Amino acid sequence: MSTDSNEVSTIDSHARGPLLLLLGSGLVWLVVSGVLGLIASVQLHTPGFLADCAWLTYGHTQALHETAFVYGWLANAGLALGLWVLARLGGESLRASNWVIVGTLFWNLGVTLGLVGIMAGDATGHGLFQLPSYVQPLLLVAYGAIAVAGVLAWSGRRSESTFASQWYVFAALFLFPWIFSVAQVTLVWVPVRGVLQAITAGWYAQGAFTLWLAPLALAVAYYVVPKVTGRVLPAYQFASLGFWTLIVVGSWTGGRHLIGGPVPAWISSLAIVSCSLLVFHYLVVLLNLRGAIGGGGTVLNLMAFGVLAYVLGGFVDAFTSIRGFAVVTQFTFFTQAQQQLALYGGISMLLFGGLYFALPRLTGKPWGSAALITGHATLSVIGVLLLVICLGGAGWTQGRELLNPAVKFSDIALSIRPWLLAATAAQALLLLGNLILVVNFLQTLVAKPVASKTPLFQAPAVMEATAS
Amino acid sequence: MKNGPLFFLGLFASLTLSFGGVVLLSNTQLGGLAPYYDDGESKSFPERAPGIAARGQLVYRDLGCASCHTEQVRRPGFGADQARGWGDRQSVARDYIHQAYPQLGAMRIGPDLTNLAGRKPSPLDSEDLMKLLYLGQGTMPAHAFLFNDVKVVGQVPAKALKLTGKMAPAIGHAIVPNEHAQTLVAYLLSLNTVYDYPEARPVAQVEAKSEGAHK
Repeated sequence: MSTDSNEVSTIDSHARGPLLLLLGSGLVWLVVSGVLGLIASVQLHTPGFLADCAWLTYGHTQALHETAFVYGWLANAGLALGLWVLARLGGESLRASNWVIVGTLFWNLGVTLGLVGIMAGDATGHGLFQLPSYVQPLLLVAYGAIAVAGVLAWSGRRSESTFASQWYVFAALFLFPWIFSVAQVTLVWVPVRGVLQAITAGWYAQGAFTLWLAPLALAVAYYVVPKVTGRVLPAYQFASLGFWTLIVVGSWTGGRHLIGGPVPAWISSLAIVSCSLLVFHYLVVLLNLRGAIGGGGTVLNLMAFGVLAYVLGGFVDAFTSIRGFAVVTQFTFFTQAQQQLALYGGISMLLFGGLYFALPRLTGKPWGSAALITGHATLSVIGVLLLVICLGGAGWTQGRELLNPAVKFSDIALSIRPWLLAATAAQALLLLGNLILVVNFLQTLVAKPVASKTPLFQAPAVMEATAS
Repeated sequence: MKNGPLFFLGLFASLTLSFGGVVLLSNTQLGGLAPYYDDGESKSFPERAPGIAARGQLVYRDLGCASCHTEQVRRPGFGADQARGWGDRQSVARDYIHQAYPQLGAMRIGPDLTNLAGRKPSPLDSEDLMKLLYLGQGTMPAHAFLFNDVKVVGQVPAKALKLTGKMAPAIGHAIVPNEHAQTLVAYLLSLNTVYDYPEARPVAQVEAKSEGAHK
């Protein structure tokens, strides 16, 4: 594959405008969410920090951080890379790219208004669904506009048969609006009664991960890993089973957060069973994408980290959904560690890898600085590891001490304080890394096009090496 | 996978199944949950919270209090909820049927608040809660923005906080809770799940009783 002279074609240059807009907006949100994450993290061990500001209570900063990260960074970058993969595999230029541009503008307008609304106290209060009621219809329509291009790329594909990446992107494009609109109706417009809100919110939050974010990131990984390694995916015949396991079983696992809660026991029991079934999906992903591990080069290294974190996250979810573990980890920082492991370690790292692979091909220019790439990748890896380990350690300590009624809350706070301080350091590392990424991104955009790009792209493997 | 329509149908069916199974089925089971009428007391439980408390719940939600506090007690024996004095029985779905936005919460950086107004031996009163909100305590930040520092002309306002020592306001000033603080505290003081529903009783206990009845 490394000698394929059609590696870069008009498909990439046609998609350049809208996809760079998506990627650029995503990166802005990545930095914004980093700043908010840092503030929220400081507030956990220094409660007085910004306490006088009604707009930035911990409840707000936490919701802002999460929303900016998921609806800002992951959504924009995931859609950009997903559409790119879909267009390339379809063999046709991206159609309806104007729709993508308009959709992106409105999506980001919606996210901006949403964040202001959360600061003003209009958050819905449901995890991963914090956006205020008044921006949700806008986001739904904007998403639809962006998805038009994806649906056209799917239906207009040159070859009848499809590749795993295409299933994953198409599933994400089609299923997200559905779960998002269900959540809007049942939680915002005609709120269901009592604890049903918690059940539906859990279903949505899990769906947003398993039916939207994870498929987008996996699509990128399934596309990029064989491209870079130049080898066919091992055990590819299992890929479709892995895909359907995720789609069919994935969204049933939301009830694991309600174990022991005021809901019928079958909801959490079903979730526990589904978590175990979902392990099959994670095993297939590991089997298919294991070529990324030890491959060398920044793209593959980030992909390998992402795959391992994603799979590990799935296993940890399965373990902690068991009631004996849940009784410790429930309601503690351990759940935050799991979320960061999945969203940052898994999804975001896969998207970083995809971004490093895609940008030179979209712009026709190599990355501005190899040193900055190494800097960002290193800081991200260290930051994520530190963050997940610290939150996990804090959560486990907190969980053990909560089980002992003799330990007061002030003592729990003291014993987890070192962990939380280290978690703040991790957030700072991540923010620094992401600032480096933005600088490099901008540098690449404004750089003059390479005079003769033919040799560069005739050997993508070489370009990969220079970029890493 | 070559068959586009079949693929689409598969996606559609998968999500329909999960939507039906989780959202619709739970709605069928709990959507019509009615208050429990107790013949002995000639009253229905749970009782509706007063309007000011319902408004206070919105303040609670707007501030994001649920990021650190839960409002759900787990059953005795599963976690230390009972031993910590958060409630003698498990919270059940019926406890929440009158609440517009139940705040179950997912984090316990601070204590559970399900029965805050019924804490034993001495429940917190309005004055305690106001001071807690104004001054903060441990990891709980001070929420000074919920209070106004007013100049006292004539009599000190009845609602003014009785602060002493370092935190006392300047002479001729008083710290008065604003409307948000007042509704929030009214809400917190309404938090008490007093009634013992049949479904909230531990299963083992019921079995033991029925065995006893046979003997």
